[in-house]
Amino acid sequence: MTTTGGRRPPRTPHELDVPLVELVDRLLSRGVVLTGELTISVSGVDLIYLGLSVVLSSVDTIRRAGADV
Amino acid sequence: MTLLLRAIVAADDAGIATDLGLHAVAGAHVAALASACEATRAATETELLDHHRVIQAVFERVGCLPARFGSVFLDENVLRARLIEREPDFTAALARVGHRCELAITCAWRDDNPTAATAVVPAIRGRAYLERGLARSRRERERERRADEIVARLLGELPLEPAFVRHRTCPRPAVAVSMSALVTRDEVEETSSRIERVGAQLPDVTTVVQGPWAPYTFAVSE
Repeated sequence: MTTTGGRRPPRTPHELDVPLVELVDRLLSRGVVLTGELTISVSGVDLIYLGLSVVLSSVDTIRRAGADV
Repeated sequence: MTLLLRAIVAADDAGIATDLGLHAVAGAHVAALASACEATRAATETELLDHHRVIQAVFERVGCLPARFGSVFLDENVLRARLIEREPDFTAALARVGHRCELAITCAWRDDNPTAATAVVPAIRGRAYLERGLARSRRERERERRADEIVARLLGELPLEPAFVRHRTCPRPAVAVSMSALVTRDEVEETSSRIERVGAQLPDVTTVVQGPWAPYTFAVSE
């Protein structure tokens, strides 16, 4: 992942959440659909969307985003 | 054995399943790659991101159509039956986008989201309430207008066919533009560099380019 920003101020917490939310959005709402016998529900979807930077702070995506700050 | 669908690949590429610890269920032209799973409980963030890691591992080896997270089949026979029903669609989609990559381009507002629903204000009544609502509506329209400008700027700079770009403006309070671009593997570096150059010239947003990913957004027709 790359980030642009030059000499602008450091990114705010909500900006750091953005990359992972974009990925989660694709995993949950895009991609081919082949209807199965069951569909796994995802626990705490709201949590996933709202608290990503905390819950998933070890994920590479966020780690790289943090390194760019 | 219960199977969680991961991706669709060409039948000739189904052999990679062994290396990745996946199960391959093949039709005549395409194959479904799936993982053994336990479907009796809700998935967590870990399973969701594991899904992405598995798809990326497939995508790094062969062209593929990533599966939306969550489809579980009771056994290989059920999965094969579903696959064969859709095989013509998947064969066509795989030929169209399977060997291309998705770049996710996100332009996030740099300010504190004055239009966000969570920007709570003290309760007020009457004229002040209406004026505040009007001001908020104006800010939202201004943001939408600005987001449209950003989209136009990005599209103007990227040498991509319209069919290979999809975008949403203001999908969430923090985000001005969420865009997906479908590129060849050879185009990833140059396209990312172009986006970075444009993003650096946009003072009110932070531009993040993610990928290359499997073509999530383009795997299905809209």
